[in-house]
Amino acid sequence: MSNTKDFIVEQLKQQIAGFKHEIKEQTVGKVIKIGDGIAQISGLSDVMMSEMLEFSSGKKKVYGVALNLEENSVGAIILGDFFGIKEGDEVRSLKRILEVPVGNSVVGRVVNPMGAPLDGKGEILADKFYPIEKIAPGVIARESVSKPVQTGIKAVDAMIPIGRGQRELIIGDRQIGKTAIAIDAIINQKGQNMKCIYVAIGQKESKVANIAAKLEKYGAMEYTTIVLAGASDPASLAYIAPYAGCAMAEYFLDKGEDVLIVYDDLSKHAVAYREISLLLKRPPGREAYPGDVFYLHSRLLERSCNLNKEHGGGSITALPIIETQAGDVSAYIPTNVISITDGQIYLEPDLFYQGNRPAVNAGLSVSRVGSAAQIKAMKNVAGKMRLEAAQYRELAAFAQFGSDLDEETKAKLERGKRLVEIFKQDQYKTVPVANQVLIFYAIISDLLNNVPVDKINEFEEGLNKYAENSGQDILQEISEKGELNEKLEENIKKLVEDYKSTLDYLEK
Amino acid sequence: MKITAKQYAESLYQVVKDKNNSQIKDVINNFFSILTQNNDITKAEKIAKEFKKIWNTEQGIIEAEVVSAKELDNKIIKLLNNYITESSGAEKVILNQKINKNILGGVIIKFEDKILDGSLRMKLEELKREMVK
Repeated sequence: MSNTKDFIVEQLKQQIAGFKHEIKEQTVGKVIKIGDGIAQISGLSDVMMSEMLEFSSGKKKVYGVALNLEENSVGAIILGDFFGIKEGDEVRSLKRILEVPVGNSVVGRVVNPMGAPLDGKGEILADKFYPIEKIAPGVIARESVSKPVQTGIKAVDAMIPIGRGQRELIIGDRQIGKTAIAIDAIINQKGQNMKCIYVAIGQKESKVANIAAKLEKYGAMEYTTIVLAGASDPASLAYIAPYAGCAMAEYFLDKGEDVLIVYDDLSKHAVAYREISLLLKRPPGREAYPGDVFYLHSRLLERSCNLNKEHGGGSITALPIIETQAGDVSAYIPTNVISITDGQIYLEPDLFYQGNRPAVNAGLSVSRVGSAAQIKAMKNVAGKMRLEAAQYRELAAFAQFGSDLDEETKAKLERGKRLVEIFKQDQYKTVPVANQVLIFYAIISDLLNNVPVDKINEFEEGLNKYAENSGQDILQEISEKGELNEKLEENIKKLVEDYKSTLDYLEK
Repeated sequence: MKITAKQYAESLYQVVKDKNNSQIKDVINNFFSILTQNNDITKAEKIAKEFKKIWNTEQGIIEAEVVSAKELDNKIIKLLNNYITESSGAEKVILNQKINKNILGGVIIKFEDKILDGSLRMKLEELKREMVK
């Protein structure tokens, strides 16, 4: 007994003897003004731009970031609870740029923008920290986008393909399924060698809890991190959230992995930055946004990239989300982000209320990367589909007036109706690329002409089940080879015909 | 245009800096009449504060604060004085002493916007952090 006591005492003595204390010169300042999450600080003469500051007031330590360096004072945002900070409190500069913990330990977690856990699953033991602001990779390191991101959403994968390293904006009014597209895309990344990061900016915490539960349910949390700056968090946290999420993505990029990052949503991010800027007395511009609100988003989205082999070959695909007010895409922030990204998915209220969900508008949605981000088989079948879907709506409106139409137009209308039906898809029901090719092949080769329009969904479901049982080899060939040849096409045709022969609701 | 307290103090310093005592009296009188004329007499206190700052920086004087647990003897004060002049490049140091039993031992030196925490309390806290790790 006394032996162990002696041993412990000896250990302690050794520890204390080994402890070396060094007195370091620290730069301090004093809070001269505090309010609304913004502090004016005197002193701190050699503080850097976006350096971390430590407010030592009370028991809890609160961090801040220096944003405005003026002649006699420093303007800083406070990351966290600013109610305990008083005028005259001491502020220390920490001599490092704001960093967040990164690595595998954040995967599967819900964290705040500082990297602190919010899910009650214990502390995050990160071995590495990355600065939240980083200059994007240059021309030399990049490569054009060539590999697809399979979102599992038929309308998106066929008409607006997204490639690894692309930035595709999801834009639309509130409550129209913007987040649903992003979440489906995350769920569909299972087994596709993707890490996912979902950045919730100014979202209701109930909504985020819901999303986390859904991701958990579909097994997507294994490769997903949720960065949450909730609606009750100060604007400063909402402001740094997307940069923090991007820093976490860059860790995997540096390891040569592919990352999908969703910023939900950047309009709230711009609003948070506007609040900070106005409180820091920066001059307001259009819609009261500060002058650098374009750079705010361009520097963030430019960090998404597709690196070439010599630079690791990783990629960051970004899906920023913008909420429009009453469908106004020509407001300030939407036009900015549209011009930054490589295309947009435009969701339309009219389509949504007609029951076409996801309510993707085929005419206004584009992907500037285009078919380079599709597998060959998909390219073959989806080539004309975007045009046809866009034309169908115009034609349908026009056809309401005239009763006698020529055969060709009638056929087009019939096909359009079925196409619209195929693009309808429930939430959380992603479709593997091989099954997508199958149904698209069926429609472009006029195999669905005698299937009633209201039975299309039933038909597709049944076809998928049938293919699972007796067409496994065909699906496998499509997903493995990625292209169609004559023999495969014959097999697909046969599979569809075989399935049709088991049905009793076909016309004629 | 409004003239700030800092601008007043700056100009006062420029006028005063190489005058003798009797001349300074005239200057001060003059200065106050300008202040009343501009209706800025309420700024007098602020101007005095700014003037002190400008005077100190121009003359190479800095104010420093030393916090200790008990009264320091002259030898240590001299050492501290030397250290501060050396590290700040100032010519003269005005040392304000403060006693704070809470720091247990050692000293905390504050000058300009720098702080050197050599207190026993700080060391113990750091030791605690290290041991917990």
